[in-house]
Amino acid sequence: MDPAADSPAPAATSTASTILDTLGEEVLAVMSPVSICMALVVLLISILSPPSSPASPSAPPPVTAATLVYLESPSDSPGQKLVGALLDAAVFVALVAVVTFVLVALYYYRCTGFLKNYMRFSAFFVLFSMGGAIAITILRRLDVPLDAPTALLLLFNASAVGVLSVFASAVPILVRQGYMVTLAVIVAAWLSRLPEWTTWIMLVALAVYDLVAVLAPRGPLRMLVELASSRDDELPALIYESRPTVGPAERSSSYAPAMWSEEMQLPADSARSGVNQYERAGQQDNLGSAMVEMRDLGGSRSRVHQTTSSSGSMLQMGNLEAGQISNQGGSAQHAVIQIEQPEEEERAPLVSAASANSAVANEEHRQISSSDPPDEDFEMFESSKGIKLGLGDFVFYSVLVGRAAMYDLMTVYACYLAIIAGLGCTLILLSICRHALPALPISIMLGVVFYFLTRLLMEPFVVGASTNLVMF
Amino acid sequence: MTVAAGVGYALIALGPAFSLFTGVIAKKPFLVLTLLSSTLFWLISLIVISGIWRGFLPVKSGAWWPYVLLILTSVMFQEGIRLVFWRLYKKVEEMLDAFADRISKPRLSLTDKMLISLTGGLGHGLAHAVFFCLSLLTPAFGRATFYVERCSRMPFFLVSAIISLGFLLIHTFSMIIAFNGYGERKKSDQIFVPVVHLIAAVMTLINLAPGGCLIGTPLLCVMAAVTLQYSWRMVEQRLTEQQHRQFNS
Repeated sequence: MDPAADSPAPAATSTASTILDTLGEEVLAVMSPVSICMALVVLLISILSPPSSPASPSAPPPVTAATLVYLESPSDSPGQKLVGALLDAAVFVALVAVVTFVLVALYYYRCTGFLKNYMRFSAFFVLFSMGGAIAITILRRLDVPLDAPTALLLLFNASAVGVLSVFASAVPILVRQGYMVTLAVIVAAWLSRLPEWTTWIMLVALAVYDLVAVLAPRGPLRMLVELASSRDDELPALIYESRPTVGPAERSSSYAPAMWSEEMQLPADSARSGVNQYERAGQQDNLGSAMVEMRDLGGSRSRVHQTTSSSGSMLQMGNLEAGQISNQGGSAQHAVIQIEQPEEEERAPLVSAASANSAVANEEHRQISSSDPPDEDFEMFESSKGIKLGLGDFVFYSVLVGRAAMYDLMTVYACYLAIIAGLGCTLILLSICRHALPALPISIMLGVVFYFLTRLLMEPFVVGASTNLVMF
Repeated sequence: MTVAAGVGYALIALGPAFSLFTGVIAKKPFLVLTLLSSTLFWLISLIVISGIWRGFLPVKSGAWWPYVLLILTSVMFQEGIRLVFWRLYKKVEEMLDAFADRISKPRLSLTDKMLISLTGGLGHGLAHAVFFCLSLLTPAFGRATFYVERCSRMPFFLVSAIISLGFLLIHTFSMIIAFNGYGERKKSDQIFVPVVHLIAAVMTLINLAPGGCLIGTPLLCVMAAVTLQYSWRMVEQRLTEQQHRQFNS
């Protein structure tokens, strides 16, 4: 705070950019899509719910894997609801665990082609059937007339582009990110129709499962991640990648095509170049799981229409499980690198003493650069730098916020802030311990705590004060 | 009254905040993060206050002294929170300066610091507007409006939107004044902030009297204008001082 130290700074500031301009860019690049996703889900729910809220015979709570054991009805006593919801959550998490192990096994025996196609199919399914159902509801609600052939054509085209953009390399990153968010919004909108108690218990259970599966020594997700990194191979999965973002558009958008092409030239399996980008970027993240999750939801929907056969529910569970996996793996290890990256830039020209902090980053840097020509080095580094977040994280964050939106706007804001704070904490942890971390636990716990605090403590207080026009 | 009315009320309360956000804050990622954390901070303080007061609610209608107590305790608590926020900010500032040194970029300049304090204040004001006004605004998007018994001339939503606007301005700019006061150890600035906050809060008590909102709301706006003016003078003075110093050196 001493003025003497301040005074020389402004002179330099006028020309050079201050650190305020760039600091936190990467964090924001993850937070803004999450915020957009949550906002869209809240909007969707508030558009869809009000008129049908008194009598909604068309939308009973969906029979999914999450409500296999117990279907909540408003007349049940709290004890019944609690036990039922606990059972539901236990079954759900168990199913997810089973599916995750199946996926790990499939990956272990190198059935990557099957996994990838499964992922494609599920993306298409989510976009086409679930997205279509949501689109129809919106059209109905807004009284927009649209003939069936046109709607089908539009929907099919949109879904096809979505599938392509999820796995093909030539699609602009913005389109891919847009589809990722769309997938998450659709799945979250479906999931938020679960009955209330089940939703809360399931969210908590998933957060705990996420913690165990990523961090326990034999946790399935951890095994998956380690397997992938030991093979130097990638999992086909759905992960939101922040690097070439909307935010720092000027820089990243120009970079993006170059990076992609370079990646494709890498010595990785030639057949999988498209997938490779993903794998490379999120080396240890389970990319595929989010996709799987999406698929599950779609599956569950369709099954609902048929009559839920037990096998169908199993599949759904599997999908959800996969989603969890992606959640866990989603938070990539790249945060550290990102944070240290400015240093890296500075040092490169200076070649001065490498600080102890950046030593880690340097190692990573070298690992990557060793296989590449020197001038590509920086860009590869850049490309591996983005923070990655599983689509499952998007989905369950949005489910929480969407559930809050059914109560009041106040709880929505509180939950949003809590989730973002949890995400920030996770990112900080990520920069401290440099391996994949579960992104759900902190955020979900904070979100749930804030929801109930807001609902039980704050709302009567604030409403009481502000309806008397007394504020402070 | 339909969607247009709802949007209009929301814009009355949040319009200035929105333009500040898009014009100044959105371009700098770090400021956005500051905004989020400051909003969270205010939310936590509100939850703590309401947790303390939860046992005494709801207040019997007709009694006004509980509201006086409520206002006094809340304002005192929030001013205490502001001190905590300042401590945190100092820590962050040290870290930022160390970081800037390490990557050999310039340290935070005076305007940078003022931007941060502006953002911190906007976070507080935004949280206030969101929780006290925006979250009650949903019915305004429907087909009717709502009047409180004690204020039968103005719709409730309009009154709360204007009050939120006033508090948003007061919170935003008093944070600049307060940070400057703490940094420069100027007692007058340090005292000005809680006093303004307290006066503004007490003015909302006028709304408890029948028809009082016609007097209380404009008075609150005056307080907001006073805060704005004070902060403007102070910032101008600091900036010219600094220019002089730079020029002389």
